[in-house]
Amino acid sequence: MTRYIIFRLFYAVLLLAGTMVITFFMTRMLPGDPIRAAMQQNLDLRDESIVQEVRARFGLDRPVHIQFGMWTRDFFTGNWGNSLSSGQKVVDMFLQRAPVTLELFFLSLFWSWLIGIIMGVVSALKRNSMLDFGITGISIGGLSIPVFWEAIILIYIFGVWWKILPPSGYVPFFEDPIMNLKMVAMPTFVMATHGMAGVARYVRSCLLEVIGQDFIRTARAKGLRERAVIISHAFKPAAIPVLTIFGGTFGGILGGSFIIELMFAIPGLGRMGLDAIFQRDFPIIQTMAVLGSSCVLIANLVTDIAYGWLDPRVRIYK
Amino acid sequence: MEETNKKVDETSEHDLEPRRMSTVGFRGLLKTLLKNRLSVIGIVVIILMFSLALFAPLLAPYDPNEPDYYNLLKGPSAKHWLGTDDLGRDLLSRIIYGAQVSMTVGLGCTVFSLMFGTFMGVLSGYRGGAWDMVIMRICDMIFIFPGFMFILIMAAALGPGMINIIIAISLFGWAGPARLVRGNVLAVREMPYVEAARAAGASNTRIMFKYVLPNCLAPMIVAAALGLGAAVGMEAGAAFLGIGVQPPTPSWGRELRVGYTYLSTVPLYSVAPGLMITMAIMAFIALGDGLRDALDPRLRGEGKKV
Repeated sequence: MTRYIIFRLFYAVLLLAGTMVITFFMTRMLPGDPIRAAMQQNLDLRDESIVQEVRARFGLDRPVHIQFGMWTRDFFTGNWGNSLSSGQKVVDMFLQRAPVTLELFFLSLFWSWLIGIIMGVVSALKRNSMLDFGITGISIGGLSIPVFWEAIILIYIFGVWWKILPPSGYVPFFEDPIMNLKMVAMPTFVMATHGMAGVARYVRSCLLEVIGQDFIRTARAKGLRERAVIISHAFKPAAIPVLTIFGGTFGGILGGSFIIELMFAIPGLGRMGLDAIFQRDFPIIQTMAVLGSSCVLIANLVTDIAYGWLDPRVRIYK
Repeated sequence: MEETNKKVDETSEHDLEPRRMSTVGFRGLLKTLLKNRLSVIGIVVIILMFSLALFAPLLAPYDPNEPDYYNLLKGPSAKHWLGTDDLGRDLLSRIIYGAQVSMTVGLGCTVFSLMFGTFMGVLSGYRGGAWDMVIMRICDMIFIFPGFMFILIMAAALGPGMINIIIAISLFGWAGPARLVRGNVLAVREMPYVEAARAAGASNTRIMFKYVLPNCLAPMIVAAALGLGAAVGMEAGAAFLGIGVQPPTPSWGRELRVGYTYLSTVPLYSVAPGLMITMAIMAFIALGDGLRDALDPRLRGEGKKV
């Protein structure tokens, strides 16, 4: 088991390094000059020497591979550079906005798994009933509906029409807890929808697969009550494959935050990332991509280890 | 016929015959598919969407780019069934033309990612060694990268335009098919019938096209249907953020973005394009589900990694 964990950890570091390379060169592919774009408002661009000076200050005048080396070195020492457009420290910008996005993120993750599992289990146990048909329909709908459209519809119904929830905005939880929960209700629901539908579908199919197997028939044949059969015999083997999509829902929710935060005017990381892409703010995009990938990576790592722990075949095979 | 297809791994006699989709037959596949109510709805909607895209000039009542400054942001009327947009252009016509972008991007992405993914998957599974190592590690990196962010950065880097958004989505989308194909290639490579073909002197290319790839066909068709839906969604998302297809080309994601600004006055402006996107994606998912059940009963664990 220890060998398995060490192997996984080593591999995770390798992947992260690769992701850093991809991210770095992807951002350098972005067209346009970030320095000029950022200085357009407040500096006289006709003076080429100022442009050169600012570029040198950000290290953007060096060859690309040197820039990459500098960035990697700095990244691991906690110096994530300064924003090209505002000049603020990227670390500070992240720390300031992270709590907002984390709140949305964990609430969405919680909802998607809780409701998803309930939906999946119910529709598997009531297979081929109207309820099953309805839940299957809802989950296909949930997978298909684009987050921005769902957000628009919810904003229209709850914000414009019934006026029971604020259509947009954000206040920190510790300032006004009730207002905060009202404000995050819609965004978290929208962010959770896709994951919820995915989890429901997957739970349903995994559970059905297990229920169809011989040992469940045996358990029923020996006279166990149906509830005992499901809870003590069917759940664990069905839960193991379901675990594998945990990391996937992580990435999905993170991707959704770009659009959600824009639509609900929430000052979080997704909003910052989106602005950074449009302003060619390299340090922010790079940090964002690496941190985002690390989140998924860590989620996958935890899943893998849990998997190896639950299913001995995996760790022996490795 | 279907029975031989299922039992092929167990009986040694059948091991000498490649497991091919053609054993089920296109007609058999269609028959099973048409029994599934959801996939029938899916097929109908997909046919409708492609007809909209193909026959847009015939179906649209107006030129989608012709402004009418006397009728800005009007609600539905006998003249304009869905009303007009912020420049007085007929919304119905713009939505009909919008199908062109969505369907082209969907098809383009699926074709590109499947072709590239298959190529990489075959290379990885059949060559093995360093090829396999490098290609699979790249796939792993793509899998952990937050997908939508990858596409946004890529599309921004490549610049505006339909071809570029197709490339951006495909650069992300090939990893799934590649892994799928590799798994199948690895499983099939050691099969007695491949060995038999090799012993008979078949070239690598022949083995690949005649014996290995037909075996991957079933999961690939399912991946294609689901991938089409995903690509349509990604394109709409990017267009909503102003990345990808540029105005005045009508695109559902873009219409929605403009419509969102006038949500409280003309709600239909944002409802209609969103409904089209949702229906298109739903149809592809329903078709994908139906295909999966029809093609291989053992694949019922959906999305399971191979």
